[in-house]
Amino acid sequence: MTDPLISRLKHLIVDTLRLDGVTPADIDESAPLIGSGLALDSIDALELVVKIEKEFGIKIGSSEESRQALASINSLASFIRARTAG
Amino acid sequence: MAGSNASGKVFLKACECLTPFGQSAETLAALLRGERAMQLRSVLGREGGDAVPIALLPGRVLDETAPPSWMEPVRKLLAPVNAAGWGTARRPVFVTSSNFGAGNMHAFRRSGDEAHMKYGALVNCVEWLREQLGWQQNVTIFSHACVSAHLGLLQASRVVEAGLADEALVFSFDFLSPFVSGGFHALKILNADFPAPYMNRATGSIGLGDGAGYAVLTRTKGDFSISAQSMYNEMHHFTANQPDGAGFEACLAPIAAQLAGRRVWLKGHGTGTLDAGRMESGAFAKAFPGAPLVGWKGSLGHTLGSCGLVELAIASAALRSGRTPGTIGSGAPTFTAEVALEPFANDKFDGVICASNAFGGAHAALLLSHA
Repeated sequence: MTDPLISRLKHLIVDTLRLDGVTPADIDESAPLIGSGLALDSIDALELVVKIEKEFGIKIGSSEESRQALASINSLASFIRARTAG
Repeated sequence: MAGSNASGKVFLKACECLTPFGQSAETLAALLRGERAMQLRSVLGREGGDAVPIALLPGRVLDETAPPSWMEPVRKLLAPVNAAGWGTARRPVFVTSSNFGAGNMHAFRRSGDEAHMKYGALVNCVEWLREQLGWQQNVTIFSHACVSAHLGLLQASRVVEAGLADEALVFSFDFLSPFVSGGFHALKILNADFPAPYMNRATGSIGLGDGAGYAVLTRTKGDFSISAQSMYNEMHHFTANQPDGAGFEACLAPIAAQLAGRRVWLKGHGTGTLDAGRMESGAFAKAFPGAPLVGWKGSLGHTLGSCGLVELAIASAALRSGRTPGTIGSGAPTFTAEVALEPFANDKFDGVICASNAFGGAHAALLLSHA
């Protein structure tokens, strides 16, 4: 069964970044988001961070934290869970 | 990849800057004392937001005004050289910035107040500045992110060296606004931490600062000379550096080739970001082994497109005084052993290499020495 957060994040990425020809189902949750994998660039990352902060009400504190969170869909989900837990 | 070099010699007839500490002499004195100009301020000015390190001119607020609150300080800064009649065929002006009036454009979008548009667009802003300062029409605008001032210096040097002008005025100004600080904050490189240039730590951060500066270049005598300039654009990625640091090295190579045994100290870009700090300090250590490296953005913040001129004026003041400020805000461990944390005497050195770097792998460096 698909993790609802993972599914939500995939949709959010496709919608926010308006990825042509990519559907949520095409995204491998363990593949890198930046560079290889989905091949997002730094401007995509900026848009994504702003959207995630707004959507989940969390703060990403530094570019290093941003890079860590955006390593993959799985790491992004873990990051969000850790920040929204409790 | 693209490079651009000038190997001729031009003189600095005058060179001055404006920072939150004052002009170059006051700024140098504050840096030698290890003072930090930045304070934690709301990133969006009166609209609030996270507290981030920002350095503003005394009495200035981050929020935009119409007319801009920076005009009077700029007028005072330029007063000693502005009576000479600039903007003519033989006395051109080169204006550089990475902001111009971007904050006013943002203010117009938010408020609908058309008064802001006079300063908001790049050409409008410089035209207004030209009228305010009484310059004629020979005013050229350059903007290339954080190497903007270096680009203006290089082009002005070429014009002067070629005999196309008697003197050239290079003027750069970058004053902060919520638009600019908010943008860097969204990138997460402007965060709650004060910058620690070249320090090997877990999280990087920059700070931002108001700044302006000018240089009058001539072919004849001045106290200081610029005897080599280099600019290099990696063309690797539109925001990122080539990961192996080759772009930093490529920019420094033409300067190193012209040193001919002269001893130099190094004024680096050193914003406080980790990747660029590591690559920059590594490239310096490779090209100029043992030469002490300092960066001043841990105090002044990053003055963006103007940093090359602001820090050139401070480096000139340091050469004049014989003392070089250390890398304020930083600490051990540093990326390389050459990073100087404390002030040092520079009278045994023959000059200083001043470098700046920008988004998208753009690099610039010049050699400044006593004439």
